[in-house]
Amino acid sequence: MMYFLRGKVAFTLKIIVISLISAILLMLTQSAFAQREYVIAAFLGLTVLVLALTYLTKISIPLKFFIPGILLLTAFVIGPILYTVTMSGFNYKTGNIISKEEAILQIKARGIEADPSGISFDIKLGRFDGTEAILVSDIANLKYFISTTSSRVAIDPREVTLNEYGVAISAPNFKALTDSELANADKSYSKRHFIYEGEYFIALEGFEAGVVSRQVLEYVPSTDQFKNLVNGKLYSDNGRGNYSLPSDATAILEPGWRAPIWFENYSKIFTDPRVREPLVRVFIWTIVFATATVLTTFALGLLLALALNKPIRGRRIYRSILVLPYAMPSVMSILIWGGMFNTEFGAINALFGTDIAWFSDPNFARLAVILVNLWLGFPYFYLISSGSLQAIPSELLEAAAIDGANSRQIFRKITLPLLLQILSPLLIASFAFNFNNFNLIFLLTGGGPRNELDGEIAGATDILISYTYKIAFGSSTQDLGLASAISLIIFILVASISLYGLRKSKVLESFS
Amino acid sequence: MNTKRFGFAGVIAAAALAVSTLVAPSASAATEIVVWADESRGPNLTKVIAAKGDWVPGYTIKIVTFSSFDALKEAFDKATDASGPDVVVAANDWVPSGAKSGKLAPIVLTAAVKARFNQTQFLDLTYKGKLYGVPVDINNVAMIYNTKLVSSAPTSFGEMVNYYKANKASKGLKAGLCIAGGGMSWGAHSVFSALGANAYQFNSRNKIVYGRTFSAVTFGKNVRTYLLDGKKSNGFFPATDTGCKDNFLAGTVPFAVIGNWEWKDYVAKGFTMNLMPVPGVVAGTYGHMFGSVSGALLTTFAEKHGVEAGAKSLLTNFFASTDGQVRYQALELRPPAEKGAQADASVSAGQRGFGSAASLAGIPQIGAFLNSNKGGANYWDSAPAYWTAVLIDGKNAVSEASKLAAIWRANVEAGKGDL
Repeated sequence: MMYFLRGKVAFTLKIIVISLISAILLMLTQSAFAQREYVIAAFLGLTVLVLALTYLTKISIPLKFFIPGILLLTAFVIGPILYTVTMSGFNYKTGNIISKEEAILQIKARGIEADPSGISFDIKLGRFDGTEAILVSDIANLKYFISTTSSRVAIDPREVTLNEYGVAISAPNFKALTDSELANADKSYSKRHFIYEGEYFIALEGFEAGVVSRQVLEYVPSTDQFKNLVNGKLYSDNGRGNYSLPSDATAILEPGWRAPIWFENYSKIFTDPRVREPLVRVFIWTIVFATATVLTTFALGLLLALALNKPIRGRRIYRSILVLPYAMPSVMSILIWGGMFNTEFGAINALFGTDIAWFSDPNFARLAVILVNLWLGFPYFYLISSGSLQAIPSELLEAAAIDGANSRQIFRKITLPLLLQILSPLLIASFAFNFNNFNLIFLLTGGGPRNELDGEIAGATDILISYTYKIAFGSSTQDLGLASAISLIIFILVASISLYGLRKSKVLESFS
Repeated sequence: MNTKRFGFAGVIAAAALAVSTLVAPSASAATEIVVWADESRGPNLTKVIAAKGDWVPGYTIKIVTFSSFDALKEAFDKATDASGPDVVVAANDWVPSGAKSGKLAPIVLTAAVKARFNQTQFLDLTYKGKLYGVPVDINNVAMIYNTKLVSSAPTSFGEMVNYYKANKASKGLKAGLCIAGGGMSWGAHSVFSALGANAYQFNSRNKIVYGRTFSAVTFGKNVRTYLLDGKKSNGFFPATDTGCKDNFLAGTVPFAVIGNWEWKDYVAKGFTMNLMPVPGVVAGTYGHMFGSVSGALLTTFAEKHGVEAGAKSLLTNFFASTDGQVRYQALELRPPAEKGAQADASVSAGQRGFGSAASLAGIPQIGAFLNSNKGGANYWDSAPAYWTAVLIDGKNAVSEASKLAAIWRANVEAGKGDL
């Protein structure tokens, strides 16, 4: 075994592994570069360099152990956080997704307007005297002409060859493209404006049809403006990712681009009534939900752990059964519970003979959410409480018993404090998890019930993260910039609460 | 050579190896038109293209199928210049967001191609005056009735309610009319409309009327008369679509609104396609059903891939042609959007039934109005909220209808600019 761990063989193996990883990373770098994901490409390229420096030199021995973790942490934790922070400062939403350069190209392309009378012709692509041209058939008027980007030449109908539909397929000095040539000609012909009359030209709408059109919007690079060639109006960069009329900010050209707006998304959270007004109510319910979930799941888990900590018959079977909700995918459990709470057909109402509108009444919906989360969460606390109970020295409990303490006193004065000392980080982690428990809310109640007819945006069971989702993605407009800003605020809130909790429980000190 | 140099040499060699093995996009890729479709349409398009591949001379057409409609949407939202499709077969409500985001490209159809379709179908695929694709198939709902329970087609809404009340106990009916397809907003518009509430108003020349909405008093009173027993639901029309299909198939609901994508399920259970619009409160009138089209949409990626003209040709030569739609709908079994294909002998009874129901009382689904939430909520959220408020929560049918009317009017006004 040692043969493979040292010496030339080990070294060769190391080189092969590093080379393979580097090759894969370089391939991914190239792919990211091709897709214009330059930051990802730079990170991957840098990773190759760092791996080479770490494992092929003796620059630092500890780094050989840390570097995979550091790189993965950077890629999957720090990177997304930085990206979210960056995007929270941008106007990044439906309509403002692409780059400015791309937006200019697309506005130019959309600035072509078809002739209002809808004139279109059957065409044949080819070359006329060596230049790109189209042979145009005006079948209604039995007129034919060849159009290039610089000239238009009328053709005597007697000189053209027509197909069965009356479309000209050949004319003097016109060499039609073959089928195999068509595909290669697509890119160049599609961009051409073939001469028609005055400002109007013929634009390709496929290989068989040309539509009489004109350019309505023209980009003026010197002033970074778009000019409407029909009415002379100028659209300027409004600094928020769109070209708009200075006199009417709502008259914008689409698409827009991703533009920096600094802290506007943050200020929107407090100034936009649609966002601000339900925020306090949602925040309070989020705290209540997360706290209630942690307390109930911990209480039930601990109760069961205490009960099964004593030697009773069939303990293993009970333990296995209790872990089942944890073993089942939570998505399935939530959906099944959703069905069971159905007012008309659900098992809960059928079982109790009730007619409760579980998901229509705010209080019942909140109760249902906590009950389902109790079902999903108690096995976790049962498991860790069971393990922790084993870790409490039995001498302490025996000594207390000898000193005359009853079982309730032993639990309150010894077992619970010790358990809390051990489980505090997990309780705080559970609180942080449930603070952002999007799946449960989204799948069970969808945040509802809410009264849409009264203009409510947040539902009774919406927590901050599901509310953020609604704000960001709930309508046909996806506001990723605003969602990033709210996400960061949630991140800061959760981090602050968690840190406060950890400090209060003095867990960090006890670990150090 | 010491180990350090050897190591660097290894990395350099690996880099060279990696770079040398990287293959740049081949030239042949420019002659390929890539079409994205969902799990239903994708396999059928693949079969049609495999059977006849020369829809665009000089090109090969590649169909990429996604596991679900949602997966397709997610992929399209994340599509990049390198990965994006040239054409995507999608819902009409993709058009506003796709156009705004610069993912969809406008197309101009010739008069001859336009004439192949009902002109209102283009409303679905238009954003700010520009068309972004061609209609492929019609999505609509229609009401079916169980002939084992009801001998003939009902002529008015009241007739259905009376039947339900008279037979509820004796035949163990779980509801009178329910929504099996399209949900409590899209599918239930025909019920709203039958009782007097339309999402938007048309004049006699079939033009949209702005600044007007339905009469909340009339609609609210109709709801009270036909759907309520005092303040509580009379059970005729459930506020949820849960279980409707199963109940109808089981014979415990006499009337159901079903979607045209699922008519085969009903035929398989022995039901005849006696499809019709939901009858209105006045005999001989009908509730308007949304008729939307799915479209083959041109993307901006086509231009970047150098296949723009080819992709446009594919839209007109295949997707918007009689031959293309007949071949495709023979497998997909939805009502074709193209007039020639609709008239084709191969179109089945189910497809025809939905078509004729739509022609009696179909209205175009205009996303610009329905998706707008300027009134406080969009149509999709506000419509089911009304049913919940009145049929479950027992709120006042008229006052809730007033709120609904105000929301819909504001949304229509706000969406005007997007047409």
